[in-house]
Amino acid sequence: MRILLVEDDAGTAAEIARGLTGAGHLVNHVADGRAGLMEAIGGGHDVLVVDRMLPGLDGLGLVRALRGAGIATPVLMLTARAGLGDRVEGLDSGADDYLAKPFAFAELLARVHALGRRPALNAEPSLLRVADLEMDLLRRSVTRAGQRIDLQPREFRLLEVLLRQAGRVVTRNMLLEQVWDIHFDPRTSVVETHISRLRAKLGEPSLIHTLRGAGYVARPPDGA
Amino acid sequence: MGHDVMPGEKPARWWATTGFRITLLHLVLTLLGTVLLAGIGFWASSRFAGQQIQAEIERDAGVLLNAGRLGGAASIALSIEARIAADRSGTQYFLLSGPDGGRIAGNLSTAPRSAGWATMGLDAATQDSVLLALGTPLPAGHFLLVGRDLAPVRELEAQLLGAAGWVGGAALLLALGGGLVVGRSVVRRAAEMERALAEVEQGRLGTRLLARPGGDEFDRLARRVNATLDRLEGTMAALRQVTDDIAHDLRTPLTRLRQRLEALEGPEAEAAVAECDRILEIFAALLRIAQIESGARRAAFSHVDLNAVMETVAELYASAAAERGQVLETALAPGVTMQGDRDLLTQMLANLVENAIRHGREGGRVSLALRPGPEIIVADDGPGIPDAEKSLVFRRFHRLDAARSTQGAGLGLALVAAVAELHGLAVTLEDASATSPPGLRVRLKA
Repeated sequence: MRILLVEDDAGTAAEIARGLTGAGHLVNHVADGRAGLMEAIGGGHDVLVVDRMLPGLDGLGLVRALRGAGIATPVLMLTARAGLGDRVEGLDSGADDYLAKPFAFAELLARVHALGRRPALNAEPSLLRVADLEMDLLRRSVTRAGQRIDLQPREFRLLEVLLRQAGRVVTRNMLLEQVWDIHFDPRTSVVETHISRLRAKLGEPSLIHTLRGAGYVARPPDGA
Repeated sequence: MGHDVMPGEKPARWWATTGFRITLLHLVLTLLGTVLLAGIGFWASSRFAGQQIQAEIERDAGVLLNAGRLGGAASIALSIEARIAADRSGTQYFLLSGPDGGRIAGNLSTAPRSAGWATMGLDAATQDSVLLALGTPLPAGHFLLVGRDLAPVRELEAQLLGAAGWVGGAALLLALGGGLVVGRSVVRRAAEMERALAEVEQGRLGTRLLARPGGDEFDRLARRVNATLDRLEGTMAALRQVTDDIAHDLRTPLTRLRQRLEALEGPEAEAAVAECDRILEIFAALLRIAQIESGARRAAFSHVDLNAVMETVAELYASAAAERGQVLETALAPGVTMQGDRDLLTQMLANLVENAIRHGREGGRVSLALRPGPEIIVADDGPGIPDAEKSLVFRRFHRLDAARSTQGAGLGLALVAAVAELHGLAVTLEDASATSPPGLRVRLKA
């Protein structure tokens, strides 16, 4: 993917750029808000990673201007602020996802990947599938090899999030946010517990894989 | 008045307002003044009328006695008859009695033969009039009584009373009206100020009171309050700037440090990353508490389904409780909602439950209850908190010496206190039971 990184702190930018390049992406870095906006309007990027506090034009202003110009490129906003309302404010400005510093690089990478392949809104699928597992979002049913599986609402939502990102890593924090609507880390094994319960219900061979230190990924069994 | 007031404070009752008190005072003073004035008028007029009548009686008696000296009793009798005939008002009474007490002349049938002033009923039958009479013994056993009906005096008194009533009533109405006008303007100004300050309390620091140039003491007070608010707003802005700067200046290098550590391998590096996260967490919690206490978050309040929040928190911590062999009991109340910040309320409850699990007895129970009100109760069966320390635990960085210092920087409960206050929830700490260990029950009540 082509990623535009707008970050004024040279050290942080270098680390992020190195990581993203290492993951096989093309990174275009600018350190200034106005320059970032010009680059973004120039187009050709799959994802924008924008720091919230920038010289020239801050992250919120940049995203607002971008959305105002009708450009829908997904934006991941980074922030050094611990502010409580900042996440809401960031999303209100038109950013698609929000990540507070400090973050594990795996977290950033997972979120960039999730944004990069986000389907257009009107192309929302009603059927999600991995190997022989099918989830019908309209009928709210799950089947594996034709066998119906009963899931609790929370388990259903958990599986839905994983299947929407099938093949891509979903971090623990992303699950807490999207499944539980929790924006802090409860430091309990709630995610692990639900994942293992879900795995047990879905049966063998497992379709939900744990990537240590990164998160979870839904994909066909290895070798399949 | 439909504006917000401080949590827990009721709007002033009408009888407790300055306006009402001013009106009442005005009314009482006016009433006292009117009564005093009317009383003096009444007393003076009534006395004057009485003296007038007395003087007339003395004059009449003098003339009759003169006639008696010149022409004897017959002359008095003649003079009496003439006077009675000439009296159109019918208020003059006379009696000339002989030595045997029988009437010689006059329009009174009988009368006591006592010398000097007396008042008497006019007639045993009618009894409606009272006479003021002057009795004078005459030579040869005759007796002269000259009297006047006091009815005109009584009538004057009645009229005076009536007039005083009217004047007093009118004065009362005027006082009431005046008091209301003055009182209402005081109440209105005070209410305006209260409304504006309530806005400020809600976190809208830009609100200012109305202050007319020149103006009265209210305007002067308003200007002083506005100057204070300017100062407060400036301080808050500076504080926000400082926290932003700290956040930016410290978090950015820490982030870089964390990234570098992450790139390293081995358990030492992992421990260093965890330590780094811990620093950042404490730091974030401090900034968050400061931000909550500034009240700015109230602008983002919405309708929160407390029951759903409780359910989520119970779910988040079920596994943590299970790890300590504890039962996490929940008594929910579907449909209980409140105005608030969902993220903060969730975090507050999470902190309380985490605390209860951490300090509760291993293999014991932690209970979580919601009641309409809303009232939230989180209880554990751990060592509890000594009464002397109950008020201290919500302080930033406070940690109990013994049992409750297993881990954490002591910010968990400080955050609880800040969030509770933001939402107008009163926090109370109690022993959960009378047995030992007492356990701890935290009660949050709107």
